[in-house]
Amino acid sequence: MRAYATALAAAAAMTVSGQALAWSLEEAAAPYEGTSIKAVFLDRPGYKAAAELVPEFEERTGIDVTWETLPYENSRERQVLNFVGGGDIDVALVDVVWIGEFAANGWLTPLSEFYDDPALADPDLALDDFFPVLLDSFGTWDGVVYGLPFDNYSGLMFYNQCMLEEAGFDGPPETWTELMTEYGPALTDADANQYAFALQSRRGETQSADSFMRVLWPFGGSLLDEDFRSNLTSEESLRGLQFRQDLMEYMPPGIVDYDHAEAVDALAQGQVAMITEWSAFYPTLADADQSTIVDCLGVTTEPEGPAGLKPALGGFSLAVNSGSSTDEQIASWLFIQWITGQEMARDFVEAGGVSGRMGVYEDEALLEAYSYIPPMVQSWEADTAVASFRPRFPEWPELSEIIALDGTRMMLGEVDVEEGAADLGDKVEEVLDDAGYYDGDKPLLK
Amino acid sequence: MSSRSNTPAFWFIAPSVIALLAIGLAPILFAVFNSLHEYNLARPAAGKPFVGLENYLTVLTDGTFWSSLGRTVTFLVTAVPIQIAIGLWAALLLHRPGLSFMRSVARVSLVIPLATTYAVVGLIGRLIFNREFGVANDMLGWVGIPVTDWLGDPTMAFVALIIMDVWQWTPFCTLILLAGLSMVPKETEEAARLETPSALRILRHVQMPFLLPGLTAILILRTADVLKEFDKIFTMTRGGPGAATELISVYIQRVGFRVFDLGLASAQAVVLLVFCIVLSRLYIRYVYKEAEL
Amino acid sequence: MSAEAAATRRRIAPVGHFLGLAVVVLTSIFPFYWMVTTSLKTRADAVARDPVWFFSPTLANYREALFDSGVAHALLNSTIVASCTTLLAVVLGTPAAYALARYEFRGKRELWFWYITNRMVSPIVLAVPVFLIANSLDLIDTHLVLILIYLTFTLPIVVWICTDQFRGVPVALDEAARLEGARAWTIFWRINLPLAMPGVVVSAILSFIFAWNDLLYALVLTRTQARTAPLAATSFMSGYELPWGVIMATGTMIVLPMVIFAMLVSGRLVQGLTMGAVK
Repeated sequence: MRAYATALAAAAAMTVSGQALAWSLEEAAAPYEGTSIKAVFLDRPGYKAAAELVPEFEERTGIDVTWETLPYENSRERQVLNFVGGGDIDVALVDVVWIGEFAANGWLTPLSEFYDDPALADPDLALDDFFPVLLDSFGTWDGVVYGLPFDNYSGLMFYNQCMLEEAGFDGPPETWTELMTEYGPALTDADANQYAFALQSRRGETQSADSFMRVLWPFGGSLLDEDFRSNLTSEESLRGLQFRQDLMEYMPPGIVDYDHAEAVDALAQGQVAMITEWSAFYPTLADADQSTIVDCLGVTTEPEGPAGLKPALGGFSLAVNSGSSTDEQIASWLFIQWITGQEMARDFVEAGGVSGRMGVYEDEALLEAYSYIPPMVQSWEADTAVASFRPRFPEWPELSEIIALDGTRMMLGEVDVEEGAADLGDKVEEVLDDAGYYDGDKPLLK
Repeated sequence: MSSRSNTPAFWFIAPSVIALLAIGLAPILFAVFNSLHEYNLARPAAGKPFVGLENYLTVLTDGTFWSSLGRTVTFLVTAVPIQIAIGLWAALLLHRPGLSFMRSVARVSLVIPLATTYAVVGLIGRLIFNREFGVANDMLGWVGIPVTDWLGDPTMAFVALIIMDVWQWTPFCTLILLAGLSMVPKETEEAARLETPSALRILRHVQMPFLLPGLTAILILRTADVLKEFDKIFTMTRGGPGAATELISVYIQRVGFRVFDLGLASAQAVVLLVFCIVLSRLYIRYVYKEAEL
Repeated sequence: MSAEAAATRRRIAPVGHFLGLAVVVLTSIFPFYWMVTTSLKTRADAVARDPVWFFSPTLANYREALFDSGVAHALLNSTIVASCTTLLAVVLGTPAAYALARYEFRGKRELWFWYITNRMVSPIVLAVPVFLIANSLDLIDTHLVLILIYLTFTLPIVVWICTDQFRGVPVALDEAARLEGARAWTIFWRINLPLAMPGVVVSAILSFIFAWNDLLYALVLTRTQARTAPLAATSFMSGYELPWGVIMATGTMIVLPMVIFAMLVSGRLVQGLTMGAVK
């Protein structure tokens, strides 16, 4: 009897404390029912996945989520104008290279305002379940968390196994050098319009991030040294840039006009044997409606350079526009927390998104179903990932414009590599000098 | 003209003048003001300090600005002579007696390029000149010309852009020159035909004087239009590959709305405006020379 | 030249003439034709490695453009903006044109030339300051800002073409009316404007076409609510996928009405493009 009473009391206590602890999205969202928020989406698989899941959130919360789909190349302009001019975007889409600019200008609300509020924070938020490199680079600036990783990429190598086998290779190359010296000649037949490799290099962020920076790191080079001076004329950087120049022999002509669409399409149509692209393009390449190589598709980590595996890192976090009303900000937070949450991670992956959560990738079945996951996870691991693959400071967009132009001109042979690198370095330092990094007052954050 | 009061004229004209002052002139004055300040939209913390002529100094020493202006001139001196030559050829065909039904069909078809939205012209160009599935390479293949990388190669991208420009604006030249040809008195032309069978000689001695005003108009208006050229390039090449097709308006738009350096972009715009004003002075001087006003 | 050669020449001349005209017609039509046919192709046909000339047409691209991609809304925006700016240009421009045609006053020549200068000014010159002004007045992404900025080119067109038209209306009619005690406005409104209607209509159609065709101002001044059709057409270029069929369907819907309008005024198109310098 006594034991029974104790048990009963304990159960009652549990119920009471259970009620206090039980956080539910529905309850948290109740005061914001009817609020309408607007997000920025891109025309990429992760956003289609989110669009599929949004109705569930709307149903559970009564918050109305709309979005505007923008071309990537216009999405920064559009958001900057929106922040400055007071537009209607509540959920900002922050590319890894915009976080510095957006955060330093005060355009984003620090997320601690929400996750420190028990009424708004999901107890399962678990920020430490995000891959540290993703949360740090896509979402954090100067130690403050502004965004949660949403559309997460690692550079991977996608290849056409059938073409490789036909040319006598068992598998993909392990190093960049191997790719050029062995795979290049064997897989290139210009008369038949067949090429070993395609490196998307269109002027724009594609040139600066996907093409230019991609060849610096594996060869031990970098854009800037520790003092923010140009490191482009270092032996390693020049080696990387020269390598890209030499590799063009095995790429389709007009590679400087290839954007992601063209590179992915060239592999999907069997024109090239290998590409290094963002992990996010896996669903496109694996879709029989858009790809003729579904059965031949292979995916692995990017090739290694003399400096080891230094894969491209890119992606977007979702953040809250500090110019929106309090209700809109909170509704936006609840949406961001939900769509990037642990609970949604699996659904998100299955709908074609790429979650930044570590937990979800412990699921063996998922690893087996999506062959891009293991190399991607490997690329994100702490000892591999290059968190500052591109500097994230507010000056990057301006530098990116310069690199995009001079980088393409270099590829076209309009300027020679060494001269171009020196010239580009001067322009980069000029921008950083104007920004005040060399006066010693401005912290060297990237 | 009668000696009646001119007061009504004021009331007739005032609304349109006020409107144009407000939307055409005020922004230009504001641009001049901005051009004297450092003003980057993406750096709100930096404020908007007065910097005097610094932005103009930057324009003068900015290699990219002058090379995009140089590219604009190259575009002009390549495209316009082609447009005039083909336009004249077509105008002579349309002027020639006979085949009147076919001639009216041709005249009407000339309207299509002129009415096509510039941005769409660029989109069509990007489709037609696609290296892999574009119809241009397909058709050139019929006559044995190998696959050309139109939009990926700097020179060919420039050529492709010129081809689309020629397509769109040659009819403009044709129609202007045709108007000139129809001013030639019938008797003079017929007399000349009896005298010489050479169309070239008739063109040179009889028709040319009537074509000159039109040619001047073409030269000046096309120059102004090439300085404006933006929409087509934006949709066809975005100024690429590299900077191969980055004409002046495209460059200013990039500085203003991608780098958000509105001070510098304003200075560039003011410099461009000076060119525009010089052009319109020339236009007025040579084309409206005999306008009875 | 021998008589025989001359005779041969006369015989083959019409053939050459015909072929020449045929080339003119075909080249003028081809890009337009290619746009329209691509808009009717399936996705696979549109990007087939060997361009497809014969295919079974589909309207799927139009459905997708109109209903899934918001092109219908953009076309509506374009219609609203182009109509309003045209109307405003006619209301403001015709009295000015009449005054320029009928009255003598100091500064008339300068005024006339100032209108012409507006034709030459590159839109990018105005785009930057107008963006800033519109931004501070909260006019970004409204129809109004486009309607107003388009006046910079629609108003001059109306003034130019209509001045010419009013000059063709006999002054004697004005004099007669004045003797009967009609006021200046009545003379303009009741007598001249109806007689100048052909010119007014032509200038209105040309204004509409020019306003409809603009991309740069729309790019800078609108976002989603007031997005015009040319902007909608370019928004498909996301750098990831290019749905050529849908893009060309949008292009066709933008261009086709303008081609029809332009054909209605084809006789005076040149006059509009040269601002009356060439008739």
